[in-house]
Amino acid sequence: MLSEGAVKEINELTGKYANSRSVVMPALYVVQREYGYITEEGMREVANILGLRPIQVFEIATFYTMYNKKPVGKYHIQVCTNISCSLLGAEYIVDVLSKKLGIKVKETTPDKKFTLSAVECLGSCGTAPMMQINDNYYEDLTEEKIEEILKSFR
Amino acid sequence: MATVKINGKEITVEDGTLILEAAKGAGFDIPTMCYHARLSKLASCRVCLVEIVGQKKLQPSCVTPVMHGMEVLTESPVVKSARSSMIELLLANHPLDCPVCDKGGECELQDVTFKFGPRNSPFGERKRRFHEEDYILSPVIIQNINRCIQCKRCVRICDEVVGASVLGSIERGAKTGETSFVKEYLDCDHCGNCIEVCPVGSLMSRPYRYQSRPWDLKGVDTVCTYCGTGCQLTVQARNGEILRVISKPDKGINNETLCARGRFGYSFINSHERFVTPMIRKGGTLEPVPWNEALKAIKDGLTEAMKDGRKTGGIASGRLSNEELYLFQKLMRGVFKTNNIDSGSRWNTGAVKSFANVMELNKGGISVYDALNADTLFIIGSSISDENPITDYLIRRLSRNKKMNIIIASPRGLKLDSSATLSLRHRPAAEGDILGGIAKVIYDKNMDKLKDLTGKEHLKNISRENIPDLTWTDWSSIESVSGFMLSANSITIAVGNDVLRGPSRIESMHILAEALRLLGKDVKLFPVFDRANQRGAWEMGVHPDILPGYSFRDGDGLGSEGIIDAASRGEVGALYVVGEDIVSDFPDGGFVREALRQVKFLIVQDIFLTETAKMAHVVLPGASFVEKDGTFTNQEGRVQRLRKFIEPQGDAKADWEIIASIGEAVEPSFHYGSVSDIFKEIKGAVPMYRGIDFEGLDGNGAIVKGSGIGGQGAGVVAGFSLRPKSEVRSQEQETPDPEYPFILITGNHLYHSGRLSLKADTLRDILPEAVVEMNEEDAKAMGVSKGDKVKVKGDRYEATLTAHINKRSVRGVVFIPENFTDVPVNMFFTKGKGFPRVKVLPLSSLSPQGRGPG
Ligand code: SF4
Ligand code: SF4
Ligand code: SF4
Ligand code: FES
Ligand code: FES
Repeated sequence: MLSEGAVKEINELTGKYANSRSVVMPALYVVQREYGYITEEGMREVANILGLRPIQVFEIATFYTMYNKKPVGKYHIQVCTNISCSLLGAEYIVDVLSKKLGIKVKETTPDKKFTLSAVECLGSCGTAPMMQINDNYYEDLTEEKIEEILKSFR
Repeated sequence: MATVKINGKEITVEDGTLILEAAKGAGFDIPTMCYHARLSKLASCRVCLVEIVGQKKLQPSCVTPVMHGMEVLTESPVVKSARSSMIELLLANHPLDCPVCDKGGECELQDVTFKFGPRNSPFGERKRRFHEEDYILSPVIIQNINRCIQCKRCVRICDEVVGASVLGSIERGAKTGETSFVKEYLDCDHCGNCIEVCPVGSLMSRPYRYQSRPWDLKGVDTVCTYCGTGCQLTVQARNGEILRVISKPDKGINNETLCARGRFGYSFINSHERFVTPMIRKGGTLEPVPWNEALKAIKDGLTEAMKDGRKTGGIASGRLSNEELYLFQKLMRGVFKTNNIDSGSRWNTGAVKSFANVMELNKGGISVYDALNADTLFIIGSSISDENPITDYLIRRLSRNKKMNIIIASPRGLKLDSSATLSLRHRPAAEGDILGGIAKVIYDKNMDKLKDLTGKEHLKNISRENIPDLTWTDWSSIESVSGFMLSANSITIAVGNDVLRGPSRIESMHILAEALRLLGKDVKLFPVFDRANQRGAWEMGVHPDILPGYSFRDGDGLGSEGIIDAASRGEVGALYVVGEDIVSDFPDGGFVREALRQVKFLIVQDIFLTETAKMAHVVLPGASFVEKDGTFTNQEGRVQRLRKFIEPQGDAKADWEIIASIGEAVEPSFHYGSVSDIFKEIKGAVPMYRGIDFEGLDGNGAIVKGSGIGGQGAGVVAGFSLRPKSEVRSQEQETPDPEYPFILITGNHLYHSGRLSLKADTLRDILPEAVVEMNEEDAKAMGVSKGDKVKVKGDRYEATLTAHINKRSVRGVVFIPENFTDVPVNMFFTKGKGFPRVKVLPLSSLSPQGRGPG
């Protein structure tokens, strides 16, 4: 069940949009934050709050890749592998992360701390190669930098 | 108007016409896949691309309107090659498993490929594959998404027309497929319209699965007999076995849509439970006899039973054809010399007369499309979304792109509420007072212009103060409705047959319509019926006070209630019941049983051994709707042909033949050889039918025309007495009894109508047992959630039922469908006391704590 605060947050969101279908996207982020990923229950709850049919939420949740349809680790590392980042060594960055974490792309560490994903352009090509961990960007990546970043999360 | 050249041919069309339509008008067929004439435009498949001379890019003709002077090419080399490429793309991911696909032979993708498609394909990639085995989506749908071409027709029809909105597109790009939420089992209308519009074999009908190829089917276009909407449908059979019902885009007001009952409710025809020989009661049991013996028994029985001046009576169903109903009343009036006749037994005979009058049925019919061409549509007295599903679909679809204020007044929450501008929830049986309240507000605001309003003195009884008590609706809502009516130029008031369930206060309807007309508004009245030929029954004169053609009289004939009353006093010698199960319908199950025991000679004609038939002295096997010819008049007043497709089972006979042979047995001149002969006679007796050509009736039928009868002008009959008052307070209007906090109302269910639907196995699979529907808050207060078992208890009867929740229903009311034999809801009723009061006991707890409103 969504927390009271989350329900309140979604209800408040409705005031900001012209119709309830537009609220689905921000509401799904609330679900993702609450559950860690988009759960079936969470989608039903959103539908219920917004007066929609569950399918109308499901359509959106499955369309966008930014919604996690499966549980992810505490830290979700998304490495951009699109063109600019790839030109500047995104694949190498992925390899480094993979080796350091001991997991492949799309996998989660056994302690459920890290999930590694390769994603499309995150709109930060100027600071390529880059990655996003939860809501923050980490830019101009090098092996050393990654080492430091990971340390701060351990 | 725009003049355009299509492939060199000049054509002038309305501005805004789509190129696709214009081309069709000019005789050029452009293939389409995602386009659907009655759905919103999507233009995703690009199969319909055309070349507009002077424009570089090809344009989808299904969304591009013509412009004056435009020159369009639909068959140029670039169009042909683009079209073929688009089809190739659709095929790239298509499994091409036509040999095992139910759609084979009627698949739009096959057809379009055959006609316009590529003859080879360079694609070597692996095809996308969502699942190996087809999966079941609902009691009626089985899906194979691998075949889906993402046209979204199913999604659109379910959302825009049906209003269920349970289908959607999931995933993205090449992985997109159309299905339900997490592919779960659907809780929807089960109408199968998504199956009908799916161009390929992605959504398929479960009952029809692997049954036949379309070219092996023989079919007949006929009319649905489940409700007053009167949809056209096509019944198809292979080797005489009925395998499916479909609807065609160009047939009937329903064009291509049907509800669950229409589409899946046919299998009762072949039910082994049907009785197919006449039977006579011999020493307590019903024994099969040949027809001549049954008829002789009837002749003798009648003579015997009518001795000592005992009464006779007849009750016939509003699901018989016009010809049958006409013959029935003629037999009763002419041969049995009685006016004791009625159609059905659920309604108040006086209320019916007022209704026919107030709704101006004698003015002739009105097309539903005309009725829905109004600024304001007010619906009252009908659970329209459940009882008349296609009327609900039509309203939803037609109001989508139109400014029409829809106002709904009903005790139950309805699916159509989501399309409404305003929904009122009211106390059961308060329709008359609501209409009176609206009239009152309008009158008060326009007294100077409404000086001559007939019946205005009756409005005195209604006030801001007593409206909440009378109707559970507040005055301000009544004022809003009046506001919508006053600001509209054209108003349609749709009134359903729920107003007939008690002594009617529906007369206020007349005052309201009059007032609006005096104010210069165009007012249309549109009746909504749950029985398919209810209107026909009255037009043919099956009512003690209505002679054929709405010739109203004030006679001493008895309606159903009067007949049953008389029977209970032992005054009825003979009663002839056709197609109605009065023991299950009459709102006092205990009383009607007792009364029928007193009838000396009871003849019941039906196709199943109903509760009533089980009490009969003689039972006669009638025919199902595909086994006989005739005409039906739907709620619009549209006369449509019922067409015989197969022979009646066993010794069963068309009901008109049986009625005629009973007549002939008593009086040899009562002889009819064919339905068209009877129709000829109807044309003579009922002037409204004079202009109708029986043989010429096509898919659109013909609407009856009003005409003055016997010196009376069309419209409300002179001398008709207005009695809009609240003097009769029946049980549902009394102060709530804390012991029994709920008012019980009944009606048809979305999946069931009358009694036949229960014998159709698909419908029984969809809803196998009776449910009780209640308001969400009421349920919460008792700790009841959907699916829980509860006991509903009245002072005379109780039943254990599954709870259903209706978020938008009024508090303090529960609804139980009247279609289930094992839950005879009429047992809750006490004759003359209106809607019964009940309590609801959650089965887990013993303490009743249901709370009524207030
Ligand atoms: S059967 Fe009817 S209600 Fe159910 S998904 Fe199909 S179109 Fe929608
Ligand atoms: S299931 Fe059928 S109707 Fe629905 S999108 Fe796919 S092909 Fe079109
Ligand atoms: S709406 Fe009525 S007439 Fe139409 S298919 Fe359904 S039951 Fe039959
Ligand atoms: S390509 Fe990596 S941020 Fe744009
Ligand atoms: S039919 Fe026009 S784009 Fe599909």
